[in-house]
Amino acid sequence: MAIEVAKGTQQDLEENHSGIGVFLLHCLKNRFVLYTLSIIGFLLIWYAIAVLRILGNFMPRPLEVVNQLGIMMVDPLAGRTLPLHLWASLQRVFIGFLLSVLIGVPLGLLMALSRPINSIVKPVFDLFKPMPPISWISLAILWFGIGETSKVFIIIIGAIVPCVINSFNGIRLVDPELYDVIRMLGGNRRQEIWEVTFPAAFPAIFAGIQISLSVAWTCVLAAELVGAREGMGFIIILGMNLSRPAMIIGGMVVIALTAWVLSLSVGQLEKWVCPWKREIH
Amino acid sequence: MTKRKIVCEGISKIFMQKGTQRVHVLDTIGLAVDENELVVILGPGQSGKTTLLRIIAGLETPSTGRVLLDGKEVTGPGPDRGLVFQRYTLFPWETVMGNVVLGPKLRNMPKKARRELAAYYINLVGLEGFENAYPHQLSGGMKQRVGIARAYANNPQVMLLDEPFGQLDAQTRYYMEKETIRIWETEKRTVLFVTNNIDEAIYLGDRIITLEGKLPGRVKSTYTVNLPRPREHTDAAFLELRQKITEETQLLL
Repeated sequence: MAIEVAKGTQQDLEENHSGIGVFLLHCLKNRFVLYTLSIIGFLLIWYAIAVLRILGNFMPRPLEVVNQLGIMMVDPLAGRTLPLHLWASLQRVFIGFLLSVLIGVPLGLLMALSRPINSIVKPVFDLFKPMPPISWISLAILWFGIGETSKVFIIIIGAIVPCVINSFNGIRLVDPELYDVIRMLGGNRRQEIWEVTFPAAFPAIFAGIQISLSVAWTCVLAAELVGAREGMGFIIILGMNLSRPAMIIGGMVVIALTAWVLSLSVGQLEKWVCPWKREIH
Repeated sequence: MTKRKIVCEGISKIFMQKGTQRVHVLDTIGLAVDENELVVILGPGQSGKTTLLRIIAGLETPSTGRVLLDGKEVTGPGPDRGLVFQRYTLFPWETVMGNVVLGPKLRNMPKKARRELAAYYINLVGLEGFENAYPHQLSGGMKQRVGIARAYANNPQVMLLDEPFGQLDAQTRYYMEKETIRIWETEKRTVLFVTNNIDEAIYLGDRIITLEGKLPGRVKSTYTVNLPRPREHTDAAFLELRQKITEETQLLL
């Protein structure tokens, strides 16, 4: 009798054990659990590096960064709080980005639609295209000073390239049979352009605009690192000059979050303007 | 006497490839299609069928010879001919309605009238209830129905179909052939249907024109299909004709 009871408990234990095992395995397959593990792991490694001083004295702990962010939200740096610095950068990005789209997209479209225009613009464009926008910073400052103009100039130099390239390729890569459809239905050249060229090229143009926006964000930071009295790039350079790494990392976090929100909202905008596009999971 | 609708006179086509290589695709093709007749051009792959159809459509110019439509020479594409393409060439950014309404829209038909017209043809091809679906939400057979409705809605005198069911599975293909006959009997048009499928040819055609099996494409022979519709693939006369065409053209099945 006693033996049987013992056997029973043993079995129960085993079943319990395998139950937990299955549960754990199930957790490991759940991607949200894994996401959480990944973030926690990252923060722990960061914390360890900071506490063990692997990178010397200039590695703040994660909480110090959060604190620093909290301080910057209320205490002005060089006359501005963090949201105002962010706004200064965003303003530059929006102006530069808008100008890039307004110049770059029509330029790419014209190049794709007209061979003479393409032949005139392409050699010069190809010459300038591979130059990193950052290499223009020194010239921009000599030409325009360290004011807004030089920053917007740098942004345009960088952000106009994807607009031109994607608009051009978007039109060049339109399925030629779609033009046959319009021609068979009795459409003229103007109708071909309005009914086929633009809508068919639209997703590619939009993708170019998306890339442009992220390039613009990169460029504004680079421009602000070199010479600015406000903006996110300024905060980062100030952090370096004051030897306050928490300020630098805090700035980087805000920059990353902003870039993420920007690309998310452009993605949302795309869903709204191109409802026919399949979603890629 | 029935009227000659399409006449091809001595059509040859030579493509230049890479600037130097000459590809002789069609060699002195002559054929005629009567009004409201359903003629099938049957030939294996690489026999120049699609090129011939594109020349009749006006999308390609023949190297020699000419195409006459109602006695007038074809010089380019036009709304008097409706073309259903081999690939589903639907506009992905337009709904079913947007695709079908395209032809009338290009001719500036008022919005209400063209939508009613398109709705009629969407119903005719059996896509009621899918007016607002985008092409990527449709199956292959449904996409090709949209292609047919789009061509019909432009009210062409001649329908040109270029292997329209080549991408469909056997069952859907068979069903679409039945639908083609139903639509054609509802809305009689002169139809030129290109295919590489011998069963499809016999099932559909009033007349079958076979092309030779290698380039350059030449007309091999013509068969009149005197079978009542709807036709049965297992009918003795059907099989007999099938046997005859197979033997004479050595088409691989």
